Amino acid sequence: MKSKANRYAVISAVGLLSLLASPVSAATQGSFGATSTGSISINASVPGRVRISGLSDVDFSNVDPSAAAVDAQSVCVWSNTSTRGYSITATGSGTANAFTLTDGSAPAVPYTVEWAGSSGQTSGITLAAGSALTGQTSTAISSDCTAGPAASASLVVSIGSPTLQSMTAGVTYAGTLTLVVAPE
Amino acid sequence: MRTSWAPGIHFARRLVVGLAIAIVLSAPALGQRVRVSGVTDLSFGMLAGFQSDQRQSQSICVYSNGQSSGYSISAWGSGSAGSFELSNGLNTLHYDVEWSPVSGQTTGTNVAPNVPLPGQISGADHQTCNTGPATSASLIVVLRGVDLAQAREGNYTGSLSLLISTE
Repeated sequence: MKSKANRYAVISAVGLLSLLASPVSAATQGSFGATSTGSISINASVPGRVRISGLSDVDFSNVDPSAAAVDAQSVCVWSNTSTRGYSITATGSGTANAFTLTDGSAPAVPYTVEWAGSSGQTSGITLAAGSALTGQTSTAISSDCTAGPAASASLVVSIGSPTLQSMTAGVTYAGTLTLVVAPE
Repeated sequence: MRTSWAPGIHFARRLVVGLAIAIVLSAPALGQRVRVSGVTDLSFGMLAGFQSDQRQSQSICVYSNGQSSGYSISAWGSGSAGSFELSNGLNTLHYDVEWSPVSGQTTGTNVAPNVPLPGQISGADHQTCNTGPATSASLIVVLRGVDLAQAREGNYTGSLSLLISTE
């Protein structure tokens, strides 16, 4: 008697496992009639994504070395996560991703990078090269800010006055700044 | 030599012929019927492309026993008022539905929710396509790039129903 009960238990467990292992199909087929109705389920997964756009090159020309040169630009950062969160990491073209400019011969000169999580700012949180600034939130509605706010963050690049005073006049210093945005 | 009951037989013979014709004439016309089968659930999986349309199509069986094999199709989704929308519980993702009366197609005529698309002709020979062509129509579901570009993160699900009617 006990073995029979155990057998039923095993069979039930196997049946349950079979049901669990089977792919759930919601599709229904139509019957033969004056009308016929069939239905299917549809699913799609959208991963967390971000986008940064609206960036402009920074050009400090004929700056006055007695004061810091500052370039602030509003950019679009979009995130599709439930919190619209993102992190940002900046790297320069200097040694070990340093934020530096160079003319190719003279010593590289440093610049600073700041980030603000809202547009129209002239200062923000100072970024360290290669280190992610987390906990940022975007207000952008569309991925390129063509709908909703036209910009959602601020990038501020500056060269301090002492640095400017160390630079050779008439020489062009150049470098690249790369920004990586990741969903959070 | 004719017997006296010959006129009776003649009358009976005419009556039988008359009844036979009457039976033929009064036989009810075979009702027009349709059937949709072979539909399967559809999964886009984890989407990778967001700048272009993402399409999924399936060949299915639509049978119509009408003289012209004609039918119309209506479709509705699980979104509000039958709209073609998937949901992740918080956000929705719109999709389009296209239909082709030919199997193996990846594009077709756009179908609006709850609006019949008339004038479709089935090439099926059997109500479940067990004989003749294995499928007779194409159902295409399209996630538009413009919608995907703005889609919020998540797993989206929904259902799509198809109503085939005689024509």
